Amino acid sequence: MMLVLLILGTTSVLAQSKTISGTVTDQNNLPLPGVNVLIKGTIIGTQTDFDGKYTIKVDTGQSLVFSYLGQKTEERSVGVSDVINIQMLPDAQTLEEVVVVGYGEQSEKKIIQNVAIVKEEAIEDIQALSPQDLLQGQASGVQVVGSSGVLGSASVIRVRGVNSLTGGSNPLIVIDGVPIDDQNQTLGQGGNTGLNPLSFINTEDIETFTILKDAAATSLYGTRGSNGVILITTKKGKVGQRTKVTIGFSASVSEATFLEDILDIEQFADFNVTRSNLINGTNITAEDLGLDGEGFDWLDGVTRKGISTSEDFSITGGSENTTFSLSVNHSNTEGFVLGNQLEKTGARVNIATQANDWLRAGMNLAVTNTLNDRISVQNSTFSPITVGFLQTPNILPRDANGDFVNTGFIANVLAIEELDRNEVITTRITGNTFVEATIFEGLRAKVDFGVDRTQIEQNNRSVEVNTPGGSAFNRATFINRHLITATLNYNRVLQDHNFGVLLGTSYEETRNNRTFVSGTGFLSDQLLNVRSASTFPTTFADRNQTRLYGQIFSRVNYDYKGKYLLEGSFRRDGSSRFGANNRFGNFWAVAGGWIISDETFMEDGFFDFLSLRASYGTTGNDRIGFFPSLGVFTSLNIDGLSGLEPSSAQNPDIQWEETATLDIGFKSGFLNNRVQLNINYYEKQTDNLLINVPLPRQTGIGVLGFNPVLSQNAGEIENKGFEFDLTTINFRSKNFEWTTKINLSTIENTVLNLPGANLDEEGRQFIAGSAVQRAVVGESANSFYLIRYVGVNSQTGEAEWLDANDNITNMPTPDDRKIVGDAQPDFYGGITNTFRYKNLDLNIFSNYSVGNDIYLGGIRFTDAPIGFNLSTRILDFWQQPGDNAYFPRLDGTTAGLFRTRSTNQLKDGSFIRLKNITLGYSFPKKALENISFIKGIRLYVTGTNLVTIKNRDLGDRDPEVTNNTNPLQLGESFFVAPQAKSYLFGGRITF
Amino acid sequence: MKNINNKIHLFCILVTLVLSCDSQLDIGPEDSLTPDVVLSNAALAEGALVGAYARMRSDNVFNGTTQLTQEWMSDNVNFLGSFPTFQEIRDYTTIASNGSIGAYWRDHFFIIASTNFLINTLPITEISDLTDSDRARLIAEAKFIRAITNFNLVNLFAQPFQVSGGTNEGIPIVTEFFEGDIAPFQLGRSSVNEVHAFIEQDLLEAIPNLPEAGSRGRASIGAARALLARLYLYRDQFTEAADLANQVIQSPQYELASDYTFFNQDDASEHIFQVINNSVNGQTSGTGFSGLSNAAPIGRGDAPFSQNLLDTFAEEAGDLRFSTLNAMGTDAVAGTSTFSTKFPDGVNLSDNAPVLRITEMYTIRAEANLRAGTTLGDSPLNDINLLRNRAGLPPLTTVDLATILNEKRKELCFEGQRRMDLLRNGMDLRRMGQANIADAAFGANRTILPIPTSERDLNPNISQNPGY
Repeated sequence: MMLVLLILGTTSVLAQSKTISGTVTDQNNLPLPGVNVLIKGTIIGTQTDFDGKYTIKVDTGQSLVFSYLGQKTEERSVGVSDVINIQMLPDAQTLEEVVVVGYGEQSEKKIIQNVAIVKEEAIEDIQALSPQDLLQGQASGVQVVGSSGVLGSASVIRVRGVNSLTGGSNPLIVIDGVPIDDQNQTLGQGGNTGLNPLSFINTEDIETFTILKDAAATSLYGTRGSNGVILITTKKGKVGQRTKVTIGFSASVSEATFLEDILDIEQFADFNVTRSNLINGTNITAEDLGLDGEGFDWLDGVTRKGISTSEDFSITGGSENTTFSLSVNHSNTEGFVLGNQLEKTGARVNIATQANDWLRAGMNLAVTNTLNDRISVQNSTFSPITVGFLQTPNILPRDANGDFVNTGFIANVLAIEELDRNEVITTRITGNTFVEATIFEGLRAKVDFGVDRTQIEQNNRSVEVNTPGGSAFNRATFINRHLITATLNYNRVLQDHNFGVLLGTSYEETRNNRTFVSGTGFLSDQLLNVRSASTFPTTFADRNQTRLYGQIFSRVNYDYKGKYLLEGSFRRDGSSRFGANNRFGNFWAVAGGWIISDETFMEDGFFDFLSLRASYGTTGNDRIGFFPSLGVFTSLNIDGLSGLEPSSAQNPDIQWEETATLDIGFKSGFLNNRVQLNINYYEKQTDNLLINVPLPRQTGIGVLGFNPVLSQNAGEIENKGFEFDLTTINFRSKNFEWTTKINLSTIENTVLNLPGANLDEEGRQFIAGSAVQRAVVGESANSFYLIRYVGVNSQTGEAEWLDANDNITNMPTPDDRKIVGDAQPDFYGGITNTFRYKNLDLNIFSNYSVGNDIYLGGIRFTDAPIGFNLSTRILDFWQQPGDNAYFPRLDGTTAGLFRTRSTNQLKDGSFIRLKNITLGYSFPKKALENISFIKGIRLYVTGTNLVTIKNRDLGDRDPEVTNNTNPLQLGESFFVAPQAKSYLFGGRITF
Repeated sequence: MKNINNKIHLFCILVTLVLSCDSQLDIGPEDSLTPDVVLSNAALAEGALVGAYARMRSDNVFNGTTQLTQEWMSDNVNFLGSFPTFQEIRDYTTIASNGSIGAYWRDHFFIIASTNFLINTLPITEISDLTDSDRARLIAEAKFIRAITNFNLVNLFAQPFQVSGGTNEGIPIVTEFFEGDIAPFQLGRSSVNEVHAFIEQDLLEAIPNLPEAGSRGRASIGAARALLARLYLYRDQFTEAADLANQVIQSPQYELASDYTFFNQDDASEHIFQVINNSVNGQTSGTGFSGLSNAAPIGRGDAPFSQNLLDTFAEEAGDLRFSTLNAMGTDAVAGTSTFSTKFPDGVNLSDNAPVLRITEMYTIRAEANLRAGTTLGDSPLNDINLLRNRAGLPPLTTVDLATILNEKRKELCFEGQRRMDLLRNGMDLRRMGQANIADAAFGANRTILPIPTSERDLNPNISQNPGY
């Protein structure tokens, strides 16, 4: 900046320098503050103050450009006068906000695709580690389930429900036009949720989300559109914007939302003594069982208060021709589970320039480095949370000398987190470069080249005390994706007729490389890597790739007077995943809309805005592995010899899933636009469902250790539902404003048919997603299929279940299972209340889910005396006739069967949660007048997950949990770490 | 206008770059082969056979889980671990949806599928560089593998021959290789006699084309005969059993080891057939031989000696089969127990799985001769005293069935033979003082495993065992 001023200083010797001042007003002659005033062709400028006044030093002959959102930009050359007053006029075109859609932009008013838009102001106060967290509860039709309180774990996003059973149900994520790689890098450590593939995105960089929901919006993404598409637009500079520098910082402390009570050493000893004496008729004591010693609270030992900090810095601005945005961010987040930490550092540059009157070019580039200090989770005896619940309290982590000991099968997680290394370092580079040429007025050609490169480095080392001899592994994963897209865009206005045509083609290639080595037998704990090992049990490298060729895609839109709108789109896609028989597929959509409020007969009506919209079209889903059509043999060795096993069965006819979506809806605004209500209804039907149909075990086809399956297109599934979005301005005055936004989505998921699948006891076809969950024809794809538990008989003290014929039984069998619940909610959504009083603002955001069941597999362990520690619930065991006990008599025949998978572990997962509450204070301009370089200061405090209202039956357990991102294993938890509750203080300073 | 043309040209060049990508969609996997390629030369066909042997590494078949499961169903092992599925089996409360048992069932059929691929395709496929003798050997080895796998299965999932003369339900006999139609893989169960006949036929067809010698991790004439001997013994065909055991004993390939250091030696002449593991291609999980039977923290400390087995060894002091093959250590419940040292590598799980060894042939010959009243090869007394001599114990003067079974128990404990040795002699699986004696009685429902729910869900033709 200094340099520019110096240069300006020298040139001013030649030109005549002078100071211009003036007032900018709006059409009603009221002063307009915040108008950008820029010297044309430079980045020098200022803004008008509260009274619309400005002062700027310029040379004669230069021009001043006045710009303001929603107003026509004005330009004046500097002449003799020292005063330039401007009256700005509204700009009809820019008044309508522009929305990013697939391969382009459309005006928000005229859009007839069904898209949900989440803007910066809705998300700026939400503390989030990943973009999924920001989306939770923000838009109808978008369901986000945070999988756990473990940092860096993948959330589950579903746009309009589960549309695919095994083909992957994640929406396609597109950042600034680049579809990014979102393969879950499981790198499994007990759970199946994997690492969050989107955690590299700096949430501060996000300007808006556009969620494409109906076929009119998604069919341009062809074979990948079925699960919806989420377009993320990052912050960019604006033409003529004064350069803005922002510094943000925050600090927070987090802890578990819910943790159940488990037995302490005395309770554990008492219970086991009682049980042993009851069963064996003896009279032993705690001493006899070795439980009279000192105890340790493992659950307390593995949890803590996590302290986190974050800082970010950004500069955005723009001259007349060039806009830019630079940002750097750093955060260090400590989880509430011992040993879990995430450190993230990222930078982004977005730049675009109008090179001359016909050529525009630009580049967006982001680099992120993430260091995730991981923990094992869920079904692992190395998982701190699981061990916290299950390790018996008589086991101590340290010996008398204070040294860590090995606790055997249930590992000493304290020693592991203290001494072992378990880290994943991810470096991700995403970006694109574009060139856009205006060939003649109305016709623009654009070529965009994008890259997405991920490098994942995993380093593990277990020391002597935890693994005798020590063990280590090192893994490197590289994912390289590049794509090229070329589009032609033509827009023409002929009197009242508006035409637009988009024509494009694209090619994209993704390569995955993995290398893995492991070693055992180390001389010293200080030798950290596999190279120092003596034995190398596993070395492994493989590579695969996919190519997707969007041969042609096109969208045509037309409107008459901006009132009657029509749109059609088409895409032809080819994918290397499919067999030659079905390599290419065609997808299309049509949509129509009518802005009724623009009709003359509506002019004095109730509605300020009213439009109707309908669309129908098709999309696909190609996520079924790399070469599902081929039957192949893969390597399986023994005794130093190379062998081959038949690892998959062939299916040459396999193809993408196809989803047809009907969508109708209306948008309305009334009472001076203080109430805005949008309602949509949709029906989505997916055919050719990609299913890994379980094969009879006798076939013996598959990878050793896995169940045999055949990838098939077999089945249909339907999702339908209503989506409501309501925004009301409840109160508005000069000093106080209260706004409420509510969204609600209903969902009804039905499996229509599953040819080739097996029949259950009642003759319905089904696919088993897990031991407790099935997709059943005529029912939800996430039906819980369990034995019905009745309770403990108060007279006999034995547990009772219902058999298949609804009779009471003490000996339940798998044949007694019935459909007893559904993991999908009846409805879900979010509620935001925003209050503003002078410079104070309060944002209260809640999300909710109603009618979903959750299966808590951990109950089978914490509520059954099989050698682990137990929940305090077990103390409520039956002792004498008349007892209404939770657990059956300890010496009865059903005490062992109590843990049989049944509805005893199935709970109502409905909840409403105070997700985010933020109180902020922005310093008044007057207070900052003396500190001239500071333009704004905002300080805020935020609480996350402070209150949760849920079913009483859940006790001290978090309802928002999931084991697995697999669409057939929704709502199942096995010692999933609960969500975190956190308190944060932050600030934002702009210059 | 010229300017416009230039811009159009520029754009067209870029679009052409994209459009030329059509043919690039035709890519294939880089780490796997299609079946026609597998059958295109001798080395790959051999690879498919090696794959069948490699599938035998599954802990659920030969590498220890099923073997040790049978040890704690009977009286040798005191299972202390926390796996509920294993606890159910120990406590005789098993239900059909027990996931471990589902995996036992599944993995056996995986091995059978690999063998069926070779047995069915090799006779009808032209492979230019495959000699006729190699072709016959590949098929013979596959048949041996299929036979021993089927034998394992029928022993686990069906009542022994002695319960109803082999007319009871056995297992499905799968002979096809999957190519799209599931009907041949939804078979009902053949009778135990039919399954035994199928195993016998596979072995008899294999013997002429198997090698006399070679790796002890591969099928041989001796291995096929040893398995036949075991089959006949299990069917009370004592003359045939004694004859075949004798043939193996007579073979110069095998020799009773002088001590107990032969475990994990690939080429020790004690071994007739074993699964040869190493640290790279070892047992497939931590719940095989090495994982379960080692003390913590090297292993899980799940499967120590039962008190009954300790008492049995304690009856005669100085038994080398105990003193050289045990170690005290921390068990799964943080106590101290006695563990076997036959499979010491709990870290890399590289210990070999003994499947057929010459010691067993001596016990078969002794038992079969005793039951048949013959002395084929040698007398039962001499055979047993030979084993006792190696164990450092004084010779006996007489033997009966109980002493033979007792010596066999002490020789082969932790190797998975005890359950069948008890059942086929009409004996209960548990001894006095152990739990679940009634449940473990000869012929009782839960002395055999249930047909897994995962199989029954997918196969309407298969029946469940009584009591499940």
